[in-house]
Amino acid sequence: MNAPATPRGRILIRRPTADFAADDGAPAYVLDRPVAGVRVGIRHDGTWRSWQYIARVWADFLRRDGAIPVLLQTGERTGAEGEKTRADLDAWHGEIDCAVSGLGTCGSCTMWSVRDAVGVEATGKPVIAAICEEFVGHARTTASFLGHPELKVLVLPYPLETRPEPELAVIAERYYPRFLALIGARR
Amino acid sequence: MSGALQSPTIELDDDPEALYELSLAEGWGDGVPLLPPTDERVEALLAATPLAPSHAIGKLPPRHGTATVELAAINAVMAGVAPDAFPLVVAALEALVRPEFNAIALTTTTSSVHPALIVNGPSRDKLRIDYQAGCLGGAAGRGSMTIGRAVSLCLRNVGGQRTGATSRTVFGQPARFGQCFGEWEERSPWPTLAERQGFTRAQDVVTLHGSKGDFPVADTNNDDPRDLACMLAKCISYPLSNYYLELTGDCGQIVVVVNPMWAERFGKAFARLESFQEYLREHAWQPIDLWRPANQEVLRRKSRVDAQGRVYLVNRPEQLVPVVAGGLGSLHAMFLPSWCQSEMQSAAVHAARWTEESLDAALVEARALVRSDGADLILVEADPASARVVLRLDVGDASCATGSCVMPGDALRPLIADLLARRLRGAMDLRLIDPRAVEPGSNAPDPA
Repeated sequence: MNAPATPRGRILIRRPTADFAADDGAPAYVLDRPVAGVRVGIRHDGTWRSWQYIARVWADFLRRDGAIPVLLQTGERTGAEGEKTRADLDAWHGEIDCAVSGLGTCGSCTMWSVRDAVGVEATGKPVIAAICEEFVGHARTTASFLGHPELKVLVLPYPLETRPEPELAVIAERYYPRFLALIGARR
Repeated sequence: MSGALQSPTIELDDDPEALYELSLAEGWGDGVPLLPPTDERVEALLAATPLAPSHAIGKLPPRHGTATVELAAINAVMAGVAPDAFPLVVAALEALVRPEFNAIALTTTTSSVHPALIVNGPSRDKLRIDYQAGCLGGAAGRGSMTIGRAVSLCLRNVGGQRTGATSRTVFGQPARFGQCFGEWEERSPWPTLAERQGFTRAQDVVTLHGSKGDFPVADTNNDDPRDLACMLAKCISYPLSNYYLELTGDCGQIVVVVNPMWAERFGKAFARLESFQEYLREHAWQPIDLWRPANQEVLRRKSRVDAQGRVYLVNRPEQLVPVVAGGLGSLHAMFLPSWCQSEMQSAAVHAARWTEESLDAALVEARALVRSDGADLILVEADPASARVVLRLDVGDASCATGSCVMPGDALRPLIADLLARRLRGAMDLRLIDPRAVEPGSNAPDPA
C-alpha cells in the first residue's frame, strides 16, 4: 500500500492498531428440561472461598432436586500443573450435561471463568458464567473476544468474599433459582 | 519499499503535538509523547530484521489481534526504538505469545503484573540497555526505555489491552510503561541468564518475566554471605506473596536482582549457581505460626504446610532466578516477585540480513567460485539496510588463452547473487563490476 503524497506541513503515519474479531460467534445453549437426572457441572478454583461455599450449597440443592452435581476445582494454568488442569477440564466436559463456571471476581479469575465456560459451550452444552457485578463488563468483553458473545452470565453481588457464611447462605438460596432459570431448566 | 506496508495511513499536521493529541484521543499511547510512525521510520526498523513485514509473530492478548512484524515496527517507532534494537522487540513478542507465558491471564488480571524484559548478549552496550546503576529505572538508556515500551504499546494497540476494560489491574505499576534491563554478565560469577535458558553468550537474547513490580531490600548487618542469602530468602517469601494464594508452589519464578558486590560475595560461598538457588529455596519459607489462625487454616486446606510447620514459597530451586545487575552500592538488592501463573520465556533475536562477519563468510564462498580460474572478487560496497552489495571482479592475468577461463559477468552474477542470498537469508541488490566489459574508448566498466 503506497503512501500518497502529502501537502506541505502534513505527514502520513501508519495506524498502529490491529483489527479485532467482530462480536458475533458461537450460539449459547439452553437445557430446556427439568434438572432432575441432569449432571450439572460446578467449576470453582482454589482461591475464592465464598464461591466454594456457594458451590457446596448449590450441590446440595441440586441433589435435593434430583440432579447430579459434578464439582471441579481447577488448578494452576502453567507447567505440569497446568497440563493437569487442562486434562481435568477435558474429562469434566465429558461428565456433564450443563455447567456453571465461577467465580469471576478479579481480572484473571473472571477471564478463566469465562474461558472455562466457553470451553463447555464449545462442546454444545448449556453453561453460565458466575460473575460478580463489578466484573460483568470484563466478562462480557472477554466472552465477545473469545467468539462467544451470547454466553450467559449470572450476576452475583460484589464483593462476595469476606462475607460471613450466614450471608453467603442467603445469597446461595436467593440465586439458586436464577441459576436454574438462566441455564434453561424447566420446572 | 513503502509499497510493502499494509497498515492504513493517517494524515496529520507535521507537529509533535498533533500525534500526541491524536494518540490520546485514539487511546494508542501511554500518555507520553510518541514518535510519528512514518514510512521512512517504519522501514528503517523493518530493514533490521530478516522477517517479512507481513510475517505474523502471533496473536497478542487479550483481544487476540495479530502482531505482524509491520505492526510491531509501527508501535516500536512510536516508542522510540532504534532500528538495530527492533529485533529485540520482535524476540520479546515471540516469547510473549508462547502459551506458557500465559499472557492472556497476565493482561487481564487485577494484579499489577507486567512483562519485565531482561536482555543478555553482545549488543547490550551498543543498544544502550541499562544494566549498571539505575538499571531498573532512571538510567535512561535508549534501549531500556524504548524496547519495553514498544512491547507495552503492542499489547495496547495490537492486543487490545486497555486498563478498566480488558485489563482489570487495580494499581498497575510503573513498569507497565515498559521495563527492560540487562544482566551485568561480566560481573556474574555464574552462567548468564540466557545461558541458563539454553542460549550462548554470542546470542542476543531477551527473557520475559511476569513481574509484579520491583521489591527492594537492603542489608548492612550480615557479613556472612550465607546469612545474607538466608535473609534474602526470608524477604522473598513474604507472607502475602501471590505464592501463598496458590494451590501449589509449583509455577512461576522470582527474579532476584543481585548487585555485583553481593554477587561476588555469593559467588565465593556458592561457586555453583545451583547451590545458591538450592540454599535460597531451602530458606524461602515462613513458619505457619506467622499467619493468623483463619489464614493458617486456608493454607492447611491447600496442603501448603509441611510436617515441620513450614510453608515453603516454591517447590523447586530453579524457580528462584538470580540476575546480576545494578550499581556498585553494596547494600541493596531487588527482586521481581512472581504472579505465579506465568512461566519465564526467552527468545533470541533473528539476525539482521547480515552482519560483517556473515558477509565475510559468504564472500569467502563466493570467491571460491572464481579463484579456481585465477580471479578474485573485491568488495566495493555493502549496505545491509538496503540489501545492496557491490563487488568488482578482478581477473588479474587470467584468460582463456592461458587456460583460466573466468565466466562472463552476466553468467557469474546470478550465481553469486543466489549464493549470497542463501547465506545471508534474503534477496539482495547485487552489482558486479566486470572490467572485461569495458568497451574500447570507454572510461568506465559496465556493470554486469
